[in-house]
Amino acid sequence: MKTNLKLSNISKIYPGCIANDNVSLEFESGKIYALLGENGAGKSTLVKILSGVVLPDKGEIFLNNKFLKLNSPIDAKKNKIGMVFQHFNLFETLSVFENLIIDSNESRESIRKKINLIMEKYNFSIDLEIPVLNLSAGEKQKVEIIRCLIRNPDVLIMDEPTSVLTEQETIELFSSLKQFSSEGILIIYITHKLKEVMSLCDEVAVMRKGQLVSVSKIADEKIETLANKMVGQNLKTIKKISKEKSSEQLIKISNLNFRSEDPFETNLENINFEVNRGECLGIAGISGNGQSELFQILSGEIISENNSIKLNNSPIGNLNPQQRREFLMAFSPEDRMAQAAIPQMKIFENVALNNFKSSNFFNKGLINERKIKEHTKKILSDFSVNTNNVELKSQFLSGGNLQKLIIGRELITSPDLLICFNPTWGLDVGAINYIHQTLIKINEQKKSVILISTDTDELLKLSDKICVIYKGKLSKIMNTEDVTAEKLGLLMGGGEID
Amino acid sequence: MSFDISFIGVVIASIMASSVPLILAASGELITERSGVLNLGVEGMMIIGAISGFALMIVTGNLFIAIIGSMFAGVIISTIFGFLTQTLLTNHVATGLALTIFGIGMSAMLGKNFVGIPGKEFPVFFDNLSESIPFFGPILFGHSIVFYFAFILPFLTNYFLKKTKIGLMVRAVGDSPDSASNQGINVNLVRYLCILYGGAMCGLAGAYLSMIYTPQWIENMTGGRGWIALALVVFSTWNPIKILIGAMIFGGITILQLHMQALGLRIPVQFLSALPYIMTIIVLVVISRDSRKIKLSTPSSLGKSFYKEK
Repeated sequence: MKTNLKLSNISKIYPGCIANDNVSLEFESGKIYALLGENGAGKSTLVKILSGVVLPDKGEIFLNNKFLKLNSPIDAKKNKIGMVFQHFNLFETLSVFENLIIDSNESRESIRKKINLIMEKYNFSIDLEIPVLNLSAGEKQKVEIIRCLIRNPDVLIMDEPTSVLTEQETIELFSSLKQFSSEGILIIYITHKLKEVMSLCDEVAVMRKGQLVSVSKIADEKIETLANKMVGQNLKTIKKISKEKSSEQLIKISNLNFRSEDPFETNLENINFEVNRGECLGIAGISGNGQSELFQILSGEIISENNSIKLNNSPIGNLNPQQRREFLMAFSPEDRMAQAAIPQMKIFENVALNNFKSSNFFNKGLINERKIKEHTKKILSDFSVNTNNVELKSQFLSGGNLQKLIIGRELITSPDLLICFNPTWGLDVGAINYIHQTLIKINEQKKSVILISTDTDELLKLSDKICVIYKGKLSKIMNTEDVTAEKLGLLMGGGEID
Repeated sequence: MSFDISFIGVVIASIMASSVPLILAASGELITERSGVLNLGVEGMMIIGAISGFALMIVTGNLFIAIIGSMFAGVIISTIFGFLTQTLLTNHVATGLALTIFGIGMSAMLGKNFVGIPGKEFPVFFDNLSESIPFFGPILFGHSIVFYFAFILPFLTNYFLKKTKIGLMVRAVGDSPDSASNQGINVNLVRYLCILYGGAMCGLAGAYLSMIYTPQWIENMTGGRGWIALALVVFSTWNPIKILIGAMIFGGITILQLHMQALGLRIPVQFLSALPYIMTIIVLVVISRDSRKIKLSTPSSLGKSFYKEK
């Protein structure tokens, strides 16, 4: 019998964010479905709803045309919906066997028999008695899959399953998934990796900003078209008016490498680029390809080899962010609330936070509130932040106003180089325009910008030179005039051009 | 000094008796901590158990009611802790400290009218055998039911954690409450029950002090035993059997250093008094230094509030 799973008008609203906006989808067994979207597009929320972990605010789920109410993960299990989470749901200190029996009511012996049958059938080999923390990421995932298979699932949902796997493990996973699918298990595969969708799946649903953008057959799609759908609007090629180029080099990155202990971080491999005065270098890419690691290395949150970053020919690789600010660098991180500002603190306090060295602000260890407030008022008016109350707690500013405040705070000291990461993420059109104008103005003043962004439109509009980061590697650096959105899309999906 | 074998038996029995409250409280706290909850209110719960047990013994005259009542008092006071930390998501450390301060103050107030009243005698088993058999007699016989329970408890606890389904759930919740919740385990319920169980055991430990060990009520009579029990849990790396060993070492050196003081050796008294604390920690650190095993038995989520996504 065929399994049919239908989502009808699912909505989930979190404070300040619509995670799912009226999403309707239909799946049938025998096919592998991809749910594609960037980080924050709402895929994970949707599958959490499907697995009973969160409740939707609106909408219904039907399994084989029967209404399905999923109040808890137990309900999903009872209805034979299995789920492998991106961050493994395993108990590290318990043995593999204990992990597998914890949610089951059957006797230990009968489960052990089942597990052995499954391992034999799909060629898994895992020692059941060792604690999970001794397993590799690929083995842990197999434990998760076995946990689902024990219950003979009709539906198997995989959330970003390859983010922690090696190439070889990915190949093994794909062949297992194809085998499951041929045996009649409905597979929903969540990812932001375009190549995987092309090689594994039969149909693809694209999500963006909580909404379903399109549903189509893989045969009808190409990597570029999917990239465009995923990242947004059919990209217009608006460009900044080019001016005479300065050839004075400001920052040079050479042979920068980064290896992370954390499996959820991306390693960076042999990064090389340079930025001249008055220039904007755009770094494109689908999120999760090493952008946040690169930003942290450029800003000094992660220290690197001293000579790998040179500003005006002086090595600064092992300086911390505060020391780099003395070299007239400024930073606008991706997460405004967590990295750039402290939401519970007042606006003027947040302004003081990146200026500990300023002799104006602090006097013999005491805070000079009057000076800081004057300075803050100037930022608020110069950067048209929609308040003049410096005592307001930063969390009450809208995203756009907070971003203006942060950019203003960074720019008022007139730095030589501003490094920003997704500066317009989540902002409304007006605020986006303002930020874009500001960034163009910086270049006109012969100051430089490194713009790391997932918004291709923005990059084409603002950059003089552009490159793409994919799996921690940088593509060659191109002049923006020679680049089209299609070319970028191809590179962002891991393809090659020329 | 002659080495009389019967005398050594009596000394060992007294060491065991003095370690009973530590074993009870530490075993209870171990279960609480294994579920990921750090309750620093052990001392407070013990002293509440001590006054409740003693007061009920005097008022009702029924020892059974008094023992059960002391455990119930421990449950009630740990419910406060559970409500604050699990439902209102307050900080475990601060709430536990407050619980101890509250317990000590509360017990002093409740106990005002019970100071100086002698307690009832608690029945012991096979008292006649304890004197007639040399060495093993005083160790094995002539003790209260709570005493025997305390020495079985670590083994029961070990069995519960390793071999039963609920024990597995407790360990799972302590390891990763998020995963446990995603597997359909009711994290809050498991943690509540573990907190209440810990409260009951601490109450019983207190009652043992005021009803059996020294049958009277003295203000602040737990005298820091709750803190020792907490330290035992950590230094035993959450292993019930090692708690038993640690409690015996602590009790043993406490008694031994008293004898050493009596012998008049030229060692500073302060050093001798500190000896049980130092030795217990050293021994437990030495027997638990396998870092892999520490990692395996330490509840990863210890002291962290769990908030269920909705």
